Amino acid sequence: MTADPSRQGLSQWLLSEQPASRNQARLGQAWRIWLSFTSNRLGMVGLGIVLILVLVAIFADVIAPYNPLLGGDLRTERLLPPSMDHWMGTDDLARDIFSRVVHGARLTLMVVALVAIIATPIGLLVGTTSGYFGGWIDTVLMRITDIFLAFPRLILALAFVAALGPGIENAIIAIAITSWPPYARLARAETLSIRNAEHIDAIRLQGASSGRIIWGHVVPLCMSSVIIRVTLDMAGIILTAAGLGFLGLGAQPPQPEWGAMIAGGRRFLIDYWWVATMPGIAIFVVSLGFNLLGDGLRDVLDPKAQQQ
Amino acid sequence: MALIDIEDLEVVFGSGGRRVHALRGVSLSVEEGESFGIVGESGSGKSTVLRAACGLAPVTGGRILIDGKQVTSPRDAAFYRRVQMVFQDPYASLHPRHTIDRVLSEPLAIHGFDRREARVEQALDEVGLGKGFRFRYPHQLSGGQRQRVAIARALILEPKVILLDEPTSALDASIQAEVLNLLDRLRDERGLTYVLVSHDLAVVSHMCERLMVMQNGQVVEQLTREALQARATTKDYTRNLLTASEGFTRDPALQT
Repeated sequence: MTADPSRQGLSQWLLSEQPASRNQARLGQAWRIWLSFTSNRLGMVGLGIVLILVLVAIFADVIAPYNPLLGGDLRTERLLPPSMDHWMGTDDLARDIFSRVVHGARLTLMVVALVAIIATPIGLLVGTTSGYFGGWIDTVLMRITDIFLAFPRLILALAFVAALGPGIENAIIAIAITSWPPYARLARAETLSIRNAEHIDAIRLQGASSGRIIWGHVVPLCMSSVIIRVTLDMAGIILTAAGLGFLGLGAQPPQPEWGAMIAGGRRFLIDYWWVATMPGIAIFVVSLGFNLLGDGLRDVLDPKAQQQ
Repeated sequence: MALIDIEDLEVVFGSGGRRVHALRGVSLSVEEGESFGIVGESGSGKSTVLRAACGLAPVTGGRILIDGKQVTSPRDAAFYRRVQMVFQDPYASLHPRHTIDRVLSEPLAIHGFDRREARVEQALDEVGLGKGFRFRYPHQLSGGQRQRVAIARALILEPKVILLDEPTSALDASIQAEVLNLLDRLRDERGLTYVLVSHDLAVVSHMCERLMVMQNGQVVEQLTREALQARATTKDYTRNLLTASEGFTRDPALQT
């Protein structure tokens, strides 16, 4: 069977050398990136894992066979091993672990998404401003960044959570506050190499304001490396959130947060291994997925990798 | 009164041990409608004159007057509408993630011009690129086409003065002639004033009525085109430059 002619027309329209409108040019560019991304098999596996995470989070109510918060009969259904009824077994409060892992995907996705939404713009803004203006602005902003970088991430997050009070929202804020400095450093380094480029001189000579130059000309060029870095950091963010949950400073019981679930299963790790292992596997798979996706994105977006 | 008047221009980069005195008292004046060339070897400061004039290099001394009025620092919007620049490397002077359309519309948006669509299309037509190029990205264009886009960008604000920083040195010989002819035609049509920097004496003698030879950040001498073509120069340095520009000679004994 040959390819559908209408699909072929669409692909031709997207890859046209002479786009007729702004949107066609933009879509064509995105389509080219997508085409080169699809040729990376591991990247596609990573994207698949992340998409599954998103779908599971959206349809958690449909997928989960049991209530994640209310357990079954405490006399007969506690700590049951994995079976057809309970795919991942049950925990010490007779709750179905599979249902809890499925609902935990929501919390994990929320942490990852909110941290990315909060930390990336801060990092980009601080880094590009500092790199573009240089001088004392650069010195002040970079010393602030250094102060944040000087603390181990989990310790600083612990301090913030301790100050703000335990809970998943405060954990997100704490992780976001501790994860922007690397993005600022990265964006600054990129900006330093961009700011003396002739195309920046050119737009300066058109009378553009500094804000317009940073937002419209510098940020798009820093964007790809920052996106790659954020994606690769997702695994670390999930682990930090799980670590805070494990220490009891993140999500509070009975929320089905993966790190907190591991902490709960730790007491009977030897006799009832599945209680801690199942959420551990979930953390492992999702972290791996984000890492693979980040690697794939780097192959496609990083201009330095492209030249080779 | 001259359109551009530069008096005793001094430019110093860096400080302390890494201090570079790039320009030492350069003066020049360019009449309206004239094409003025600046030649010299690498590092002679010829590009720095242009960059200082448009505010990309720090001016440490001297005065720059446009139409008899001293320029402000930083330059105001009126300056940018009057003076524009074409850069040396067309591969570096266009933003890699912006379409040609965006490159040309952005200056119009900054300065609040009307009829932007029509102006962009007209600018592309004028530099010999059709509408088909409008929504392409720079990586889909050749070097000569990119330089045409850079020229269109410089012209779109309808300036009086165009500063040309070695506009053809990054291009193939065949494309060079095309771009030079395009610049010649645009100057005739619009009555533009050019200040052209080049290390290529052939380009300068083709394009410019008057020229200035620079070395080590200082002016060696000013010549007319006729004087250059007649080799009527008084300075050894200019003579050496002329000999070098004639290129490789097979038999040195034939030269008297």
